[in-house]
Amino acid sequence: MILLQLIVNGLLLGGIYALISIGLTLIFGVMRVVNFAHGEFLMLSMYVTYFCYALFGLNPYFSLLISVPLMFLVGMAIDQIIIRPLRDAPSYMQVFATVGLSIVLLNLALFLFSGDYQSINMPFAKETLAMGSISMTYAKLIIFFSAILVSAVLFLLLKYTYIGKQIRAIAQDRMAARLMGINLNRIYMLTFGIGTALVAIAGGLILPVYYVFPSVGVYFVLTAFVVVVLGGMGNMAGALLGGFIIGVTDSLSGYYIDPSLKEVVYFLIFIIVLLIRPSGLMGIVGAEEMGMK
Amino acid sequence: MMTPGELKGVREPRIYIPLVTLTLIFLLVLLTKNSFYLNLYFTIFMFAGLSSAWNIIGGFGGQLSLGHSAFCGLGAYVSSLLFVKYGVPPLFGTIASIGLAIVLAVIIGYPCFRLKGPFFTLATIAIGEVLLLLAVHFKGLTAGSEGLSIPFKPSFVNLCFESKTPYAIVAFCFMLITLGVSTWIKRGRLGYQLVALRDEDQAAESLGVNTSKAKMMGLIISGGLTALGGSIFAQYVLFLEPHSEFSLSVSVNLALISMVGGMGTIVGPAIGSLLLIPLQEFLRTWIGGSFQGLYFVIYGALLILVVMFMPRGIIDFFSGPYKGLLAKLPVFSGKPDAGGEDSRGKALPKQVGMIETIRPSKTDVILEVEAVSKKFGGLLAINNLSFSLNAGEIFGIIGPNGAGKSTLFNVLSGVYRPDSGLFKFKGQVLSGIHKSHVICRLGVGRTFQLVKPFENITVLENVMVGAFCRQGKSAEAKRLALEVLDFVGMLDKKDSPGHSLTLADKKRLELARALATGPEILLLDEVMAGLTAYEIGEAIALIKKIRDHGVTVLLVEHVMQAIMSLSDRVMVLAEGSKITEGAPQDIIHDSRVIKAYLGEGYEPAEA
Repeated sequence: MILLQLIVNGLLLGGIYALISIGLTLIFGVMRVVNFAHGEFLMLSMYVTYFCYALFGLNPYFSLLISVPLMFLVGMAIDQIIIRPLRDAPSYMQVFATVGLSIVLLNLALFLFSGDYQSINMPFAKETLAMGSISMTYAKLIIFFSAILVSAVLFLLLKYTYIGKQIRAIAQDRMAARLMGINLNRIYMLTFGIGTALVAIAGGLILPVYYVFPSVGVYFVLTAFVVVVLGGMGNMAGALLGGFIIGVTDSLSGYYIDPSLKEVVYFLIFIIVLLIRPSGLMGIVGAEEMGMK
Repeated sequence: MMTPGELKGVREPRIYIPLVTLTLIFLLVLLTKNSFYLNLYFTIFMFAGLSSAWNIIGGFGGQLSLGHSAFCGLGAYVSSLLFVKYGVPPLFGTIASIGLAIVLAVIIGYPCFRLKGPFFTLATIAIGEVLLLLAVHFKGLTAGSEGLSIPFKPSFVNLCFESKTPYAIVAFCFMLITLGVSTWIKRGRLGYQLVALRDEDQAAESLGVNTSKAKMMGLIISGGLTALGGSIFAQYVLFLEPHSEFSLSVSVNLALISMVGGMGTIVGPAIGSLLLIPLQEFLRTWIGGSFQGLYFVIYGALLILVVMFMPRGIIDFFSGPYKGLLAKLPVFSGKPDAGGEDSRGKALPKQVGMIETIRPSKTDVILEVEAVSKKFGGLLAINNLSFSLNAGEIFGIIGPNGAGKSTLFNVLSGVYRPDSGLFKFKGQVLSGIHKSHVICRLGVGRTFQLVKPFENITVLENVMVGAFCRQGKSAEAKRLALEVLDFVGMLDKKDSPGHSLTLADKKRLELARALATGPEILLLDEVMAGLTAYEIGEAIALIKKIRDHGVTVLLVEHVMQAIMSLSDRVMVLAEGSKITEGAPQDIIHDSRVIKAYLGEGYEPAEA
């Protein structure tokens, strides 16, 4: 029975990881930019939600209406200011730029908000749903289903809307897409904005169950990289699957091996997946080198 | 490492300026008494050394590791634990540190070098994190997150001193060692190989560069030096904690310092350290105390600005004026330098050394291809193909697009392994080798249809990469490369960077590089596509000249003028199979050939 509870815990945790990773995988899949500042976007959106609550008493689920559009704009602005000049630069230049951005954002938060751990007191978040001997908190269930919903909506948007088709076209072949009259810069800007908005959803939803502090993103972003590579960079369903796998791994190895070694286990899984199948579980073979030099 | 010729060069400004600069820095260290500045010097030297070590694989080789904290932390912990637990003085413990770092480099390199770009970077981050977590977990060994205190027992063998001056001297020596090793690598064969594989790994392989081995060597040297640095650093702080020793920010810092100074250059990382470390220290002292985090905001913002506006690093600003300065400074020489050792500005010694290795014997069969097939999924790219090549002939291959010509080249040069059949070079079966660099070293050179020059190095250096296939020493490789450039008529462009050439010159460069590897057979993949009529004429003359020097040529070409005037025999391919083979005049009248090229209904009426 404890195994079942551990698996449920793992899946719920996996929902969190998946939700954080979807934006990262979208940005990578389309723009071929590994965004090292993704964790700081998570941190920023958590702070937005936190201050909405602390200053105006807004319910964190309600303040998604503020943080998501705000982070969408922030994402687009950062794309235009920092990423755009580096579009055709070698991939390591983009790595350096996003690392620099990550340093700036993290320390700006440290400067403005201090290093204290902040959380919001939401009684609802701690209520649990008991099914037999299995129990789950509502807040984590909401995250779990949001992850599935968000990836489904994103999938449908990419599949059926015109912008979605443009995004997919660019992901497959920049040059051909440009020749078909797609405004590359506009789509990249939107993609970066959407990716950032998606992590804002994650930030808002996890605040009821996690503390926020300036370096909170560092922890999550490493896990998100693992999830994204595991699922296949650029693959939404892969991010979901990868998130669940890592969540369950985390939960099981934390119990059966050692809590301080659970990350070792999934980093090892990560390295093994990179070696055996660098395109990830659901990625197209060879896609990892597409559009990259 | 220095030849007598180079020692004589001490009188030249390009040698004595760095020596004088380093001596002045050393004197400055000796004269400084203020411990704040000594601490600053120590930190600058350490990071100059560590970043230079990172730069060997990250900059020269372009393998962007963000896991170098693994080496640094390992080095620090191994020598310190040997000291704390077994009383081994850290001076000797560093040997174990370096040894284990080399083992770690092999463990990391073997799997991770198969990954490219960001994937390699992510894998190295994961490895750094794994070491961090293990160091936290195994408390019994490392004292975990509580931290490991190293007893303060000043002594030279403990690398531990009462005052800060000896520390600064040790760090200075560490920097000298890494700069020396960097210089030695960069100027030698490994350096050229690393730069080549950074720009175009497939082309590097085709020129005889064992890219896996070169990357591994780079990582081993880089990791070993980083561990040495970590070990020295540990004896300065005398306290180790996994979250600082193994942290990602250490790795990031090393990469950023190199990037800001100038990645892939010898002194770039040292310049980066000289600028960034004082900046960090001063920002921390000025505003760090009162405003937590603010100095890192400024630091991070500066990094973004450097990436955006000075992608080649700060060294790019200085290299021009520095060269100007060198030109103005006197050469202190007792007597006028009469040595012809250096070819700068002089007429080249005319030699035919390049051709010496080749012994043509026109009647022998040099290459036999027997029933080779290669499939890609359901597509049979080469179907049961057999032919043979006589030594000293030019053998043309024509066929419509998709006939399997480039696939054939990729099979013959070891890029693909044939699904069935085999091919022999001088009686030796090569079809199982599947390694381009081995095939190149055996004597089969090639060019690429889509040219792959090493873009960021000069024409001469491009050709030197090929020349290193048979030459171990830089001076000899350079001499050979110059001969080859003279042979192909590109000597005037020897100092142009690879990316600046016209298409015709890029194709010629491909030829020159392949020739420099000393091939007996040269596989030329559409070296004339896209050239003007005049350039085609030149290329035809050049290929004839190559053959006349004894190199057997296998020529894939669409330019019929070239095929007709060059080929001794021609083979026609269509859909992976041989249609026919024979003298050029016979081939072009063959109705099957015309059908394959133009389709049904275009056969000549009389046929």
